[in-house]
Order: sequence, then structure tokens, then C-alpha cells
Amino acid sequence: MVQERLPDERIDTLSLQILIDRDTCMGSGNCVFWAPGTFDLGDDGISVVLEPAEGEERQMFLAQEGCPTRAISLWRDGVEVTSP
Amino acid sequence: MVRVSLDETVGEPAPFDPFELQDTVTGDIRDPYPRMADLRRQSAVHFGNIDFIGSDDPEPPLVSEVPVPVSVFGHDEVVCALRDDRTYSSTVYEGIMGVVMGPTILQMDAPRHKVQRALVSPAFRSRILERWETELVRSVVDDLIDAFAARGRADLVRELNFGFPVQVIARILGLPMVDYPKFQEWTIGLISVASNWDRAMAASEELRVYLTAVIGQRRRQPADDLISDLVVAEIEGERLSDEEILAFLRLLLPAGVETTYRATGNLLFGLLQHPEQLEALRNDRALFPQAFEESLRWEPPVTVILRKTLKDAVLGGVPIPANSDVGLFLGAANRDDRRYADPDTFDMFRQAQQHVGFGFGVHMCLGMHLARMEARVAVNAILDRLDDIRFDPDADDDPHIHGMAFRSPTSLPVCFSPR
Ligand code: HEM
Ligand code: SF4
Repeated sequence: MVQERLPDERIDTLSLQILIDRDTCMGSGNCVFWAPGTFDLGDDGISVVLEPAEGEERQMFLAQEGCPTRAISLWRDGVEVTSP
Repeated sequence: MVRVSLDETVGEPAPFDPFELQDTVTGDIRDPYPRMADLRRQSAVHFGNIDFIGSDDPEPPLVSEVPVPVSVFGHDEVVCALRDDRTYSSTVYEGIMGVVMGPTILQMDAPRHKVQRALVSPAFRSRILERWETELVRSVVDDLIDAFAARGRADLVRELNFGFPVQVIARILGLPMVDYPKFQEWTIGLISVASNWDRAMAASEELRVYLTAVIGQRRRQPADDLISDLVVAEIEGERLSDEEILAFLRLLLPAGVETTYRATGNLLFGLLQHPEQLEALRNDRALFPQAFEESLRWEPPVTVILRKTLKDAVLGGVPIPANSDVGLFLGAANRDDRRYADPDTFDMFRQAQQHVGFGFGVHMCLGMHLARMEARVAVNAILDRLDDIRFDPDADDDPHIHGMAFRSPTSLPVCFSPR
């Protein structure tokens, strides 16, 4: 299957940057379950970050940890961060 | 309207007896968790057959070319294996479920798995499912509750939990209502595969004939249902063959009916055992997601899933040879005390954390949003309609959660204020 690689999704919230790897995302929708104000599934079934992204940081960390294929990474000041 | 009834009537579906579904393969098990915790404390990864009844007389290891089976009990180790689908292959199911259901996504590896999963996914997204919530699920549940609401007592396992997921799937597939009793009977047949092989094979064959006709009909005349969506689904030139659609539809019965009825039972069991948590949920329904996720952590209905190593691997520091059958104990992972404080307690107020009750990695449950919605609607209907619900002190049952590979309550005898 040839799929053109779309640019990775990158959105800045107040203090966290959210990065979704579109190749790794398998469209489970689990991020939308944990952080409905932050994530949504696009028409192609791949996760996107809402603009403006809302929700508590705690929910974003839950989405990151709950992503079955590790497609979500969170960054603060250029450094990757995980649940505190 | 189809009901799971306790008396045998001609034309009605066979009465549902949950004991038909107990897994005889692994024996009568009330609480496998202390043993799993012991094993995990020794090592997160074990080799050889594990005896869960607890006798300390292990079978002598077989001398053979085939690697011994591996069992994994640690949370991080289970997650690690499930995220590495290139090493831990799902083709292990080909010789098990594959025989009864045909080639399903459950047993596929990349790249075919990714394509097929994308083809079947749209109908299971949470936004698409919203339409079924009031239109379908609530009315199915209400009909079942109508049958016993005035009685003041009921066994929720037999009278409610089993009856609704099967009707929900039948409607989503778009089957005509007159066929529901047959469909329910085949479902019970198919999912008794562990205890009654002949019956499962017969049900599988009858479903094949029946569903093949429906698929052909929908090809000629599409309707507003899942089968019609599947016959036209196409992504970048890739489509589903009739054989793949048939296999997928048959997979939905064990995957979508048995799990949901068991999960709803486990949540209700946890709540009835902890009336203060039941009360908190009654007063604030927004707590439902955390209550359900906690029940899936505490008593996942599917306690173990399987993989096969395609190459030599190392898990939790332990080397595992290529070609090993690997049992990933979701139930043990969900109670890993390195991750969860007081893991054996059902506590919906604990800090939310991802559990593995829906599996993890690329095969993470396709139906999780449907299951979450169905369980929410059922529990909300119970809380709305059955005031003062509690375990029935006069029932001479000893309700408890039971099973090994699949777990759920044997019965849920409850009483409430009749309406
Ligand atoms: C609370 C209820 C449920 C539980 C606990 C559950 C659990 C699971 C688990 C553990 C897996 C992973 C199996 C593996 O990786 O070997 C899985 C996969 C699957 N589930 Fe569920 N399930 C539930 C409800 C449903 C429902 C309602 C449906 C559909 C109507 C469904 C459809 C599927 C399918 C199709 C797969 C295979 C996905 C794949 O291989 O990519 N499940 N489920
Ligand atoms: S949880 Fe991960 S895999 Fe699932 S939709 Fe979100 S980003 Fe994609």
C-alpha cells in the first residue's frame, strides 16, 4: 500500500507540545476517550489534535500512556516528557 | 421481541444458562489472582505449563523440539510484548479461533492487519456509535427490564446482561428481527467452543450459510447497516472478500457479545459489593467511565490472550526462543502491585491509569467504544429504574466471579423496590 506521508501533527497547548506520528497511529480512538477536548479522529481515522486544544495536562498524559502504539509524544521546551 | 427466558417455549431461543459457557478446559476457578501474584513475584515471565488450581506438583517438562509455552504476568512486560507485534505474532490464533471463525483480523499480522482493520473500523468509532445509543441500546435494555421491574427481584446475569449485546449486534449487522432467536442460539453455540466443540462447529456452519445469503443480498441491495458498509468498503483499492467479511461477522459474536455481557456483570458485581460506590455513581453518572475502566482493570472478562514469537526475544530480561507460544495474562498485568497500589480492591476512585483489559498494541479492542457505551446505557437504566438495588439476601445462591480464561459472575441475584 503506497501512502503518502502527511506531515506529523504538531500542536502547542499552553505548555505542552503534542506530536502525533501519523504512520504509527492505528486509529483506536483511545486518546479521544481519555482527552476528548484535545484529540479527535479525522475522516481517515487517524488522530488529530483539536485547535484550540483543551483539557488538563493529566488527561494528555493519560492519552499518551494509553496510546496502544505509542503514536503520541508530549514535549515541553523541546524535551520529551512522560507522566510525572 | 426476543427475551432470554427461563422457561422453555417453542419458537423462543434456548434459555440462556451461563454455565454452558464455563470453560471446562481450565477448570472451576474462583480466584486465580493470588496464584498469579505469587508467580509474578517469582518472575514476570514463566516457562512450562502453569497449574492454576494451585497444586505444587508441576508436570515434568516434556522433552521436545517445540519450545515450552511461556506465560507473562507483569504489566510492563505484557505491554512491551503487545507493542512489539513484529516479534509477538497473532498468527497463533490461526489454529484455534481461526478454525471456527475463518481468517479474521484477530489472527492477522501487518501489513494485512492494518488494511483490514482500517476497512472495518469506521462503524466502531465513538461518534458513529452515538446514533445507536438511544435509538437501539436503551430501548433493548428497557424492554428486558420491563420483564422483571414489577417483580422486585431478578438475576441480572440471566435476565439482562446476556440478552442485550446479542440484540445490539444483530441490529448493527442489520438482521431482520424474526431471525434474532436463531441468531442468539448460534451465538451461544459458537461461544461454547471450549466446552462443546461439535456444537460450536455446527453453529459456525449454520452462521456461514445464513450470513453468506445476507452478504449476497446486501451486495445486490445495500441497506443502512454494517454488512452493507463492509461490502462496499474500499481504501486505496483494497477491499474485503466475502470470506473475510464472513469471518469478521462471526468474530463479532464471541468478541462483541460474550465480552460485553461478562464485563457488565463484573462492573455490577463490584458496585453491588461496594454500595457506597454504587451510591456515588447513582448520584453522579459522569463517574461512569472511571467506574467501568476500574472494573475492567480489576476483573477483565478476557484474562489471557496469546501470541507466538517469530524470532528470539528478550522480555523483562528473560530470553524467549523463537516459535514459543506466549500467554499474556491481562488479569495479572492489571493487578501488578508495581503499578497499582492495593491491586485486588475494586476502587473506582483510584487515580485513572490505562489498563490492558481491552488488550493493547495494534490489536487493541475494536469494539471498546461500543462496549463502553453499551455498559453505560445498561447500568444507567438499572440505576434509573431499579431503586434501592442490592444483592438479594434471600437468594440461596453464592454469587461470585468465576472462570479462568473468561471471568464473570455466576449470577447476580438482586432485589429492589418494585415499580
Ligand atoms: C468489555 C468488553 C470487551 C472486552 C473486555 C474486549 C476485549 C478484547 C481484547 C482483550 C482484545 C485483544 C485480543 C488480542 O489482541 O489477542 C479484543 C479485540 C477485539 N475486540 Fe474486543 N472486547 C470487548 C468488546 C468488544 C465488542 C463490543 C466488539 C465488537 C462489537 C469487540 C470486537 C473486537 C474485535 C473485532 C477485536 C480484534 C481486533 C484486532 O485484532 O485488531 N470487542 N477485545
Ligand atoms: S490512542 Fe494512539 S493509536 Fe489510538 S487513535 Fe490515538 S494516537 Fe492513534
